[in-house]
Amino acid sequence: MFYLGFLTSSFAMAASAVALVLVIVALIRKQTRLPGAAVLLTKLGFFTHSAALLTLMIMQVTQDYTNMHVVSVINPAMPWILKLTALWGGQTGSLFFWSWIVSLCAFLALSGKKPLLDNWSFLVVNLNQILFLGLSLVADNPFTRIWTLADGSLTTSLFAPGVGALVEKLNNGMGLNPLLRHPGMVIHPPLLYIGYALYLVPFALGISGLIRGVEGDQLLDQSRAWLLGAWVFLGAGIVLGSWWSYDVLGWGGYWAWDPVETASLLPWLSSTALLHSLLLERRQKIFQRFNLLLVLLSYLLVVFSIFVTRSGLVSSVHAFGESSIALPLLGFLLILLIGSTILLVWRWKALDREWKFGSAFSREALFLYTNIILIALVLICLWGLLYPMAKGALSGVEMTLHRGFYDRSTTPLFALLVVLMAVCPLVGWNAARLKQFGKKFWIPLSAGGLGLLAVFLSGVRQVWALGGVFIVILGLTTLIYLTALDAKAVGLKRFPNLWWNQRARYGAWLVHAGILLIALGVIGMGNLSASIEGTMLPGEKMPLRGYEIEFVSVNESYENPEYKTVKAETILYKDGKEIARLSPAQHIYPDRQQYITIPDARATLQGDVYTLLAGYDIDVPYITLRLSDNPLVNLMWIGGVFMTLGGALAVTLPGKRGDQDEETRLMEDTLETTSAAGL
Amino acid sequence: MKTKKNIKLIIGIVVITAALLYLVISSTLSQSQYFMTVEELKSGQAELVGKNLRVSGVVLGDTISYDPKTLDLSFEVAQIPGDHKLIKAMGGMSVVLAQAAHDPNLPKMTVHYKGPRPDLLKDEAQAIMTGALDKNGVFQVSELLLKCPSKYEADLPDKPN
Repeated sequence: MFYLGFLTSSFAMAASAVALVLVIVALIRKQTRLPGAAVLLTKLGFFTHSAALLTLMIMQVTQDYTNMHVVSVINPAMPWILKLTALWGGQTGSLFFWSWIVSLCAFLALSGKKPLLDNWSFLVVNLNQILFLGLSLVADNPFTRIWTLADGSLTTSLFAPGVGALVEKLNNGMGLNPLLRHPGMVIHPPLLYIGYALYLVPFALGISGLIRGVEGDQLLDQSRAWLLGAWVFLGAGIVLGSWWSYDVLGWGGYWAWDPVETASLLPWLSSTALLHSLLLERRQKIFQRFNLLLVLLSYLLVVFSIFVTRSGLVSSVHAFGESSIALPLLGFLLILLIGSTILLVWRWKALDREWKFGSAFSREALFLYTNIILIALVLICLWGLLYPMAKGALSGVEMTLHRGFYDRSTTPLFALLVVLMAVCPLVGWNAARLKQFGKKFWIPLSAGGLGLLAVFLSGVRQVWALGGVFIVILGLTTLIYLTALDAKAVGLKRFPNLWWNQRARYGAWLVHAGILLIALGVIGMGNLSASIEGTMLPGEKMPLRGYEIEFVSVNESYENPEYKTVKAETILYKDGKEIARLSPAQHIYPDRQQYITIPDARATLQGDVYTLLAGYDIDVPYITLRLSDNPLVNLMWIGGVFMTLGGALAVTLPGKRGDQDEETRLMEDTLETTSAAGL
Repeated sequence: MKTKKNIKLIIGIVVITAALLYLVISSTLSQSQYFMTVEELKSGQAELVGKNLRVSGVVLGDTISYDPKTLDLSFEVAQIPGDHKLIKAMGGMSVVLAQAAHDPNLPKMTVHYKGPRPDLLKDEAQAIMTGALDKNGVFQVSELLLKCPSKYEADLPDKPN
């Protein structure tokens, strides 16, 4: 197995290197067509890279304890699904997995009838492939084996480290860290990685466009699906990570402004801005400079984010340990940054387009405000990440910014974004339609008012929370109401057709609805939640708001050979009536001297009643329980689903925009005439 | 007409920039925390009382005491260097932690935290603690971060017989 994995991965590396030479030769000879051999080699490289990845996964599942990576993340007691996904459970495997995802993207960009990449963009993609696979194989080869030296000591190496050294097969592995044994681990990292990698192709196309000096329109048509896809995967990955951290204590709530989390948010923010200004560039042919800048920035931020995660320079729960790849990664990031900047400056004048800016409340203006805020958020987060590093490097004083920095500086901006999102669908309509809607504006207005009242009556007095709930509900009802208005205008029978034809718009609405829901969840967790902690004997009750929790019993069991399960039985009452039985638990891993808490919650749309077993004694018996009332928190996950679905819906739209525009205009005309007649 | 529009635009940009700068600068000033080692904290103890600090140290497993009734958690941490290069030169963080946890000569500090005992609190774990020193020289922790899940540096298990 070792040879299979080692040879296939090495071959993939060699194939990329040869492809690089071929493309450089083609560029020197000023050939415009991508050499067929380079395409073939890249595809071949992808297949062998996949074979190597598969080999590694088979080694994990079959527990090949001669392999160092397998020893560090696998042990016999782990279920097979975790044995598979432990691939990305440590620095070694996850770097190799990431290099494979980059390979996959290169493969996708070259498949299809006509390769998407030209010589220059191929060069960019290829260099990324070589860098990441190279880092993985040279600095931290996943096929590294364990050896016994002649003096009996153990060491790790790919090949015999000395005369008389023998491959050692250990009896057992260390297994995945318990905190990573969660469904979140199965999907969160791949989603993020795929999202990250998809930004590479638009970046490469952008660089190539700048070098060749081509018009941006074609570039945008080619990049749209990639960018949207990247945005969807990254967004879904971030929300899933947030859910995972909410579900496992020790990761602190749903969002902690941990450097790695913050870094992963950066490309998402910049590409959210990009998606907005892309729409504008399509319609108004403005923003071209800005868009190219954002395309380049988004991938630079991806590499920055990888650097933050893997360099070991930032202290974070997520970050991997100190590593030897920090310098090469930093060098690569700087090369990309400097190269992009030079190219942009060089072509800056040529990218100029007429700047038409209507009224301060036009759709263009709102998009512009949105983007200014998003970019401001990117800058704030970058500052938050870089300032401590810079201060440390310059003055030798190690410091950090407390999460309060982000809470304080980003909350007003996020709030503004929410306000913009709520009023956005009202703008950009023609006067007649707006007037007609204006008459009905009391519907969302009063819905928002009702929400406000409900929250006020529940005892909340913070202005932020009250205003937030009002504006979010206003925004949501507006979206629903506008959709209903469309449906009424064209008739229910024709509405699905319209909906599908205009899925870019309805997708965007769905995304906005999702983000408004997430905002509600954030308000719920930030302003409306409450919790209590206490130690209880059997039969004792602990009150929180209208709830009461009763401790019944606590018991130990061994459902898994690796850990002991301690489970508390509790009854949750609301206004004196039993509404649920909750069993928060702990898994105790004696060999690792570590335990994790498995919370139990009564989840409803209104929120979670969340219990956590913080401590216990079997003999007395008693438990220490944390009981939390987290209103609206589940709207966050539902919002995440909406966001993903909405984005996915828009991805399915074909890249060519011309016909679509025609269709849209026709539909909009129909809408306007029918609604004018009907209402 | 054109200058009027330009002036509006410039005013807009200035206002936005000023607001952003205010947000960032004030948040930076109020939320900065200085990383200190246990040794630095011990040497400057008098003037540091009450200040918001972030201290990193290695957890001494034997000293952990936890009262589940009151959720009072206290333990001692020992000095580990704050310098990345030094840590690297000493053989990496896991080596440094293991050594520091068993070296009786290093400066130590008592830490108190109120709340459920964290999952990762164990001997030789790196604790990153946010809080302030009280008058008795005990570090009152408001935020306790322990290293760490994916940062798992593998040691080879014992050789099979």
